[in-house]
Amino acid sequence: MRANRLGAALAVALTVTLASCGSSEPTESPEAAQTTAAAPQGPVKLTYWTWAPNMDKIVAVWNKANPDIQVTVSKQAGGDDAAAKFLTAAKAGNPPDLVQAEYQHLPSFIAADAVADLKAETASIKGEFTEGLWGLVTLGTESVYGIPQDSGPMMLFYRKDLFDKHGLKVPATWQEYGEAARQLRKKDPKAYLGTFSSKDPGSFTGLAQQAGAQWWSISGESWKVNIADEPTKKVADYWGGLVKEGVIDDMPYFTPEWNKALNDGKLLTWPSAIWAPGALATNAAKAEGKWAVAPLPQWNAGENFSGFWGGSSIAVSAKTPNRAAAAKFATWLNTDQAAIDLLVKEAAIYPAATKAQSALGEPPAYFANQPDFWQQAAAVSTGARGFTFGPNVGVTYNAFKDGFDKALQDGSPFSGAVQGMQDATVADMRKAGFTIAS
Amino acid sequence: MVTATASASHRRVRAGAGRLIGVVPTVLLLIGAIYCLFPVLWVMIAATKSPGELFSTGTLSLGTGFLDNIAELFAYRDGVFWLWAGNTLIYAGGGALLSTAVSAISGYALAKYRFPGRNAIFNLLIGGILVPAVVLAIPQYLLFSKIGLADSHWAVLLPQILHPYSIYLARIYAAAAVPDSLLEAGRIDGAGEWHLMSRVAMPLMVPGMVTIFLFQFVAIWNNFLLPFIMLGDDHKFPLTVGLYTLLAAGSNQPSLYNLILTGAFLSIIPLIALFLTMQRYWKTDLSSGALK
Amino acid sequence: MKRSQRGVWPYLFLTPAIVLFTLFLAVPIGYTVYLAMRRTKVSGLGLGRGARREVFVGFDNFAAALADAELWSGWLRVLGYGALVLVVMLGLALLFALLLDSARVRLARFSRIAIFLPYAVPGVAATLLWGFLYLPSLSPIRDVLEVDFLGATTVTYSMANVAVWGGVGFNMLVLYTTLRAIPRDLYEAARLDGASELQIALRVKIPILTPAIILTTVFSIIATIQVFTEPTTLRPLTNTISSTWSPLMKVYRDAFVTGDLYSAAATSIVIAAISLVLSFGFLRVVRNRAFMEG
Repeated sequence: MRANRLGAALAVALTVTLASCGSSEPTESPEAAQTTAAAPQGPVKLTYWTWAPNMDKIVAVWNKANPDIQVTVSKQAGGDDAAAKFLTAAKAGNPPDLVQAEYQHLPSFIAADAVADLKAETASIKGEFTEGLWGLVTLGTESVYGIPQDSGPMMLFYRKDLFDKHGLKVPATWQEYGEAARQLRKKDPKAYLGTFSSKDPGSFTGLAQQAGAQWWSISGESWKVNIADEPTKKVADYWGGLVKEGVIDDMPYFTPEWNKALNDGKLLTWPSAIWAPGALATNAAKAEGKWAVAPLPQWNAGENFSGFWGGSSIAVSAKTPNRAAAAKFATWLNTDQAAIDLLVKEAAIYPAATKAQSALGEPPAYFANQPDFWQQAAAVSTGARGFTFGPNVGVTYNAFKDGFDKALQDGSPFSGAVQGMQDATVADMRKAGFTIAS
Repeated sequence: MVTATASASHRRVRAGAGRLIGVVPTVLLLIGAIYCLFPVLWVMIAATKSPGELFSTGTLSLGTGFLDNIAELFAYRDGVFWLWAGNTLIYAGGGALLSTAVSAISGYALAKYRFPGRNAIFNLLIGGILVPAVVLAIPQYLLFSKIGLADSHWAVLLPQILHPYSIYLARIYAAAAVPDSLLEAGRIDGAGEWHLMSRVAMPLMVPGMVTIFLFQFVAIWNNFLLPFIMLGDDHKFPLTVGLYTLLAAGSNQPSLYNLILTGAFLSIIPLIALFLTMQRYWKTDLSSGALK
Repeated sequence: MKRSQRGVWPYLFLTPAIVLFTLFLAVPIGYTVYLAMRRTKVSGLGLGRGARREVFVGFDNFAAALADAELWSGWLRVLGYGALVLVVMLGLALLFALLLDSARVRLARFSRIAIFLPYAVPGVAATLLWGFLYLPSLSPIRDVLEVDFLGATTVTYSMANVAVWGGVGFNMLVLYTTLRAIPRDLYEAARLDGASELQIALRVKIPILTPAIILTTVFSIIATIQVFTEPTTLRPLTNTISSTWSPLMKVYRDAFVTGDLYSAAATSIVIAAISLVLSFGFLRVVRNRAFMEG
């Protein structure tokens, strides 16, 4: 019977597991061996984990044109869950060949030895991307661990109709933003200019990047961790002050309640990323045509800085026997003009490739009243600065959520929560044995 | 324990008195029913709303988008919803069936035989419930990966067959529904133990097995973590994991709340239907079944 | 019973269960113990091949789990929450089961399915659904009642409510089916003596139900110790639930968010051990009546 055979197999497997787990040598899994053996006969078969919408349609175009490299899309739940699942699959020895990797998760994938170095395969396409984006997939080293797919430069989305109604000026600096928040509270006590979300470390990271933060960096053979740096503390205390003053709300993003506030005009701005139109269109359908976009308020008048919230690269699994084929597909997907057009149209992403960004024409339907939407975006993009992410972003982001939750609850200073992020991150890296330069 | 032997006929005594006294229990039960139904009602209402209405219209007012939502859900990625529903049916149906069989046989053996190690085995099997599923999922995944069975239907089906609570229930039901005298009589007639189990005991345990089946079916139908970890191929996903991909669509993609709510609503319907079909088995109570 | 000629049969009947137990519980648990004694060690930047190895660390992870103050405050929170859930859920389940079983009640079939229905709703969906009902601007309850369901103190009650709502039907059904297994003639005598339905319930039914009540209590204790879905699903909606609100949430966080499978394994073994102690302690207190059987 099946169960008995399985039993014998499992018993054997357990012994093997116990015996082999000591070394980190990749044990050749039976499937991998089979695929290698089968490769010369039929077309190369690749699996691809992603959560971008309609990716099956885009891949279908590739499959039609490339009968020798057939890609199968498996649509996953996105975000942190996807990263955890990929790491588990890589540990177990059966990861997909290609995986969508958010920039902040890529270092964890690299540290787990789960993604391949594509230096040779990507030498020719380096110039297609800005240096900032390319740094996110190299971590500033000689290796290349993924190909950038989309990016999320941050901008300020605001309710134009309500700004006009209350006579508010679109804030050019964060100081003006605070002023506008106070004015609005006087004019409409039920509405807030914005909210600080303790659930979205990605958003806070982008705002810190705008201010010039460098949370991690690599110098020689050691990591530098500087999460509680001056720019980050400045950003934290700025928002902490506004929340404490009661002029900014503390409701988390992406909850049904937040959707309703956006719909009802109870929230007038959202410092968000270029992909915000998609989220707004679905969650605040009623307010279509009432939102407009402006550059993020600056810390000093006259500057043009922004940060990144979100964005992904496509990485190739370290264990795949078909690295060349996988790299070929990933290169096509993210640099071929026809593929990028499809990505923009079907998957509604903001492409990472520089020339594709400037080629965007029609504004998103939700922003039909703002014909220069993409020009604005391109202008913001040039001033967007990121930083290298560390190998344990999961720990840092978790510390963000717990720390800011607590700060909001007991009214303690936000910079304390930032220090908590720094401490948790360093403690975790030390425990694991990373070399940290102090 | 409820070592009920076969009971003779039983009639409910209709106390002609006090309609009034009967009102209190009925009212209490109805309050309980309303408490339990209210949120379900809310899902039904929410499932009728279009994305725009979901966050703008009153919580308890009906929307206009029900048919659109259903059409959109069924059309989503070329009808992958049906595939997920089919997978769920395989996992829940197959798993519950096997689980019921295993539990019933084990329960019968534990209730009706005395043998060395009986209590040890029982305690061990029941002890399985002490280990949370979250804890087991990763080791199970790693082990299934080693034998190349991860990301297959088996990886979701097999670990869900053994269910300590079901074995416990089966033991109670067997003790209550299978009279020793019947087994002894069978043995005197020369019937083998296998025959006694499959032809005498199992038919008597049907009402109890129905309960176990129902519990297991619902538990597997609603299980999320195990299939989430085990499966990479979205064509093998059950409904829970599939709908979750709509919810956690990634930071730059909006959650498709209207499709999730419609999907959640549709996925409850088969469970209600199952419950309605199965509940007739409880009309005859366990002990009365023992006589026939 | 004589056992001579039927010697091997009970073992044969139990074989499938024992095989499944070994494969899908014992072996993974063994593997968990193994993992709990290991840890990854990286060197330098920790990037690239060979920078990361798995090493044996003995009981270090257990020591860390036991010394973690967050874990212990998690236990305290769960204990308070669990006591609340146990009493309310099992009390209601018993009440409903007795009411359903009594002769006089009307609309019994409707009530039975209505109360069981929440069990059919997946935990995540159930919590999401109640979450909608708790949120200030969306809740129809909030229109009538001015309570912050997700405040620092109220959030425990709100979570308990979700657990009670989801679990009462299941426990009711267990008790109800056990009640149906009781021969009716047991009550006839009491009725002939002029006992009321209430007296029958208190003096006849509840004593007979006691073993089943004890068992549902044990299983519920274990389930509440393992509380995970409710706080995890409500967490994005409020800033009153930390990532280590319950012990199992810490396991999940370690395993899936911060990628420390080894600490997760150690903590989960500690959780299982404490569950064992608590449930056996409870059985001790009630003198092990649930497992005594004919």
